[in-house]
Amino acid sequence: MFHRESGVFKTSYAADMALFPLPIAKWAVAAFAGLFIAAAPLLLSVYYLSLLNLCLIAIVGALGLNILLGYTGQISIGQGAFMSVGAYTAANLIVRLHMPFWITIPAGGAMAALIGIIVGIPSLRIKGIYLAIATLAAQLIIEWMINHVEWISGGVQASIEIPRPAIFGHSITSEAGIYLFLMFFAVLAIVATLNLVRSRIGRAFIAIRDQDIAAEIIGINIFKYKLYAFAISSFYAGVAGVLESYYLGIANYEQFQLDVSIDYLAMVIIGGLGSVLGSIFGAVFVTLLPIVTRWGLQLVGSLFLSQGNLNNMIPNLRLVIFGGLIILFLIAEPDGLARLWRNIRNYFRLWPFSY
Amino acid sequence: MTSISGRVLTLAMGATLGVAASSSAFAEDKQIVDGVMCDRTGPTQIVGTVLCPAMHDYFNLINSQGGIDGYKIVAPEIDMAYKVPPAVEAYEQFKQQGAVIMTTYGTPQTHALNERIEQDKIPTTTPGFGIAAAADGEHYPYLFPIAASYFSQGAAAVDFAKKQLGGSLKGKKIAYIYYDNPAGKEPLPVVEALQKIEGFELKTFAVPPPGVELSAQALDIAQRYRADFVLAQLFGRAPSVAIKEFKRIGYPLSHVLGFVWGAAEPDIEAAGGWGVAQGYNALEFAGAGDDYPVRHEIEAMYKKEGKTPPAEMKSTVYYNRGLLQAAVQVQALRNAMKANGGKPPTGAEVKAGLEQIKDFSLGGLLPPLQVTAADHEGGGWVRVFTVKGNGFTPSTDWFHAYRDVVMKTVKEAEKVE
Amino acid sequence: MPEFDLQFTVLLLSNGVMIGLMYALIALGFVLIYKATDVINFAQGEFVMFAGFIAAGAAAAFGGSFWIAAALAIAGMVALGFALERVVLRPLIGQPVIAVVMATIGLAAVLRGGAVLAFGAGTQAINMPVSDSPVYLGPLMLSPVQLVGAGVSIVFLAGFSWFFLKSRVGIAMRAVADSQQVAMAMGINVRRYFAFAWAMAGVVSALGGIVWGAMLGVDNQLALVGLKVFPVVILGGLDSILGAVVGGLIVGIVENLAAGYFDPLVGGGTKDFAPYVLMIIVLMVRPEGIFGRRRIERV
Repeated sequence: MFHRESGVFKTSYAADMALFPLPIAKWAVAAFAGLFIAAAPLLLSVYYLSLLNLCLIAIVGALGLNILLGYTGQISIGQGAFMSVGAYTAANLIVRLHMPFWITIPAGGAMAALIGIIVGIPSLRIKGIYLAIATLAAQLIIEWMINHVEWISGGVQASIEIPRPAIFGHSITSEAGIYLFLMFFAVLAIVATLNLVRSRIGRAFIAIRDQDIAAEIIGINIFKYKLYAFAISSFYAGVAGVLESYYLGIANYEQFQLDVSIDYLAMVIIGGLGSVLGSIFGAVFVTLLPIVTRWGLQLVGSLFLSQGNLNNMIPNLRLVIFGGLIILFLIAEPDGLARLWRNIRNYFRLWPFSY
Repeated sequence: MTSISGRVLTLAMGATLGVAASSSAFAEDKQIVDGVMCDRTGPTQIVGTVLCPAMHDYFNLINSQGGIDGYKIVAPEIDMAYKVPPAVEAYEQFKQQGAVIMTTYGTPQTHALNERIEQDKIPTTTPGFGIAAAADGEHYPYLFPIAASYFSQGAAAVDFAKKQLGGSLKGKKIAYIYYDNPAGKEPLPVVEALQKIEGFELKTFAVPPPGVELSAQALDIAQRYRADFVLAQLFGRAPSVAIKEFKRIGYPLSHVLGFVWGAAEPDIEAAGGWGVAQGYNALEFAGAGDDYPVRHEIEAMYKKEGKTPPAEMKSTVYYNRGLLQAAVQVQALRNAMKANGGKPPTGAEVKAGLEQIKDFSLGGLLPPLQVTAADHEGGGWVRVFTVKGNGFTPSTDWFHAYRDVVMKTVKEAEKVE
Repeated sequence: MPEFDLQFTVLLLSNGVMIGLMYALIALGFVLIYKATDVINFAQGEFVMFAGFIAAGAAAAFGGSFWIAAALAIAGMVALGFALERVVLRPLIGQPVIAVVMATIGLAAVLRGGAVLAFGAGTQAINMPVSDSPVYLGPLMLSPVQLVGAGVSIVFLAGFSWFFLKSRVGIAMRAVADSQQVAMAMGINVRRYFAFAWAMAGVVSALGGIVWGAMLGVDNQLALVGLKVFPVVILGGLDSILGAVVGGLIVGIVENLAAGYFDPLVGGGTKDFAPYVLMIIVLMVRPEGIFGRRRIERV
């Protein structure tokens, strides 16, 4: 009843392939935009805005990994390293050359893309789990290089402090300001990804994922497109890394280690491979999960246990819940949250009729 | 699968909304909030699982004695697992709860929170870790090491080595084995500066994280380089592994000095016990052992409630450090409230309170701390304890060394930051 | 290049061999699972850690007896292996490889948190009934704990090699790994052999946990040795037991030589990443490793 498709006629191919073919979709997106872009910064407290900020950064990174893993089928455990490449590139540009954010963000992404291409070269020869392990090696090697090459890391500390981004001379210092800044890039990333997957390149990616040998036979240069996938995905990761550094005010490789790569893998898988909406869901879910479980355990636990015991238990229970949820999702709903959402939406397409 | 996943999703949404609604803390009257970021999991959990309970014990003790002028100390705690984004989230959460002073742990976390702390004017204590240059209170107004920074530790370590090697380091070989991350490298500028002054040979040996295997480095130090003295700046599991390795290859532990985070009972136990580690020297910024009045007070508090004192108290090194941190914070709060006439203090007032701490030694547990607006370190005091018999015995009294070199290195570090 | 010191190098090599055999012990669990069920187990390190915890906890509970602790650890891990296969792996049969990999990653998190909840956060010791002081063999200085570890490693590696080559159960497992459908058609109970494989991996993990726990002490950081598994099995071949030994030896020796000779050149830290560089080279040149089988893909 809500999601009505009858009565909608398209008269041109362009209209049929448009981003939001149904009027209801346009209204829904407009409503969301209004809610998140206009209302949220005004209504939410600084703390909740900071949570949303973390989610926005994760969304950009997750979209990148989804392009590589969900659409092209290449497993990568190196997302954290690409983020750190972007972060340090931008940090060095800011500190040495005082570049503004509209240069550092693309530059960070570009540098990460370059490294991504290098890491993707083995994909010519190896695939599947071997490629995953190669990307794991890349993660560790890049970490080592940043730690040891002082020209990159800015000294023994390997931390580069960067000032907040400035628009037309005004430095963005409020949480709401940073929120809108990050939101801009997140929206850009979402729209870019939606368009990418509908384009020729996106279709090539999907062909490689589904049947790469057949794709090669029909003329798709799979090595070239695999490198594109690595490059584009690493570009997103680099941008996410720069954004995180702007948000935290510091670029530090210890923020981008193996556990971050694994978090992004979890985001993409729990969210749903091969789905932009899935990446968004997954990113929000994995980012907020530790926080929500902490609240929940705090609430429930304080009824039974002393604060001291609780403090010891909560972080470990959180790990157990994180791992347990991953396994649960994989067993019960391997297509992730996006599929869950689609099921709900399909239900409402026909509501109140059942079939 | 729709029915199962649908039900799960609804349940999850309901739980999340319910929990989110009740998450924001309410500020009640007569409360002072101290935000505690702790590492209960992660590579440094060995510290957090003892240090944080100690802080809570001290706060409970103060509250049981009437609080600070009638105000209760409330110390919400959030685990960071030694990662930065949770630290930032914890900071924001505590800020929302009205914290006027913060506790954190970890060098990258300190770097990340630095700007916010300054902007929000919430003083944060970082004893024995963090930004060594933060000793300069004028450059870092809201960061308070309140204990020997890595620079001071490096200087004191070299001084101890000098005394152990007969009063002069000229021509001697010093090995600096360190955990290969920024915190591990932080003492290096001071040690290298002292190399030029004292004329010793220096070689560094990196131990990549997680540091569970360092036999090659130990072999090199003992057999090839043949160091006269070893300075060990290691974290997590690495100190205990190092003790085992040096013992295994026969290098005398009395010529090894562990910096403050490689110097506690868990390290000795993990290395195989006191018997294995005889002679090992440990640098401390709070006293080790049980013989301090404040510890007895806490034990008495537990006994009065009919409970046994917690097992964490046995890990005296980390426990006492928690006491140090909590005690200095409480003292600062007291100073702040005395200055503003008994009102709940603001962050800026607590900062001023911290800078008034003078000759505060908590019955010998602490060195004679003196925090001023210029010196947020309190003097850079350390004490060396050595493993003898079944425990740590003090080998030196409280000392600090090469303050001029340390201060110069601080100023140079500030230029880079 | 720092001067070549013969005695130092010999010590490094002997160290490398010992450590390499201990890595091989962990890799053996990984290879067993992969060989029999085609699953890449990212939680191998956590298995070893969990086993170590069981052993340490049992030792503490039963007055420090090493043999009871060892027996309980083995029994516990066998039970865990059976349980995991049933609960986690069986529902995922037929899913793409990334799903199973993520499941083992999730499992790793559960084990890490669960171990601390069950056994506490402090580091616990396992005391092997061997002396602490090194054994001198000519110029070599060998630690008894490592000797035990190396010995256990060799015994079990030989044992499993024989098992897969000659015994009925072993041959059946190889058949299952080769092609599940054909094996089922030949009357082999695939599910039972999956369970066996995981149980055997549990046994090996228990041994690894005891030995590594005795060497390093048991706490949840012990799981990090699991990361070393990847260079070892890539070098040796994901499904080759002999490859696990050879790969382990190579990684152990390369690590130590890198620490001894490369570190001074580049300022340290090469020890951990040298095996990974080697691994990438092997992946480019011969992805199936030294002893692995070449996979032929059909459209």
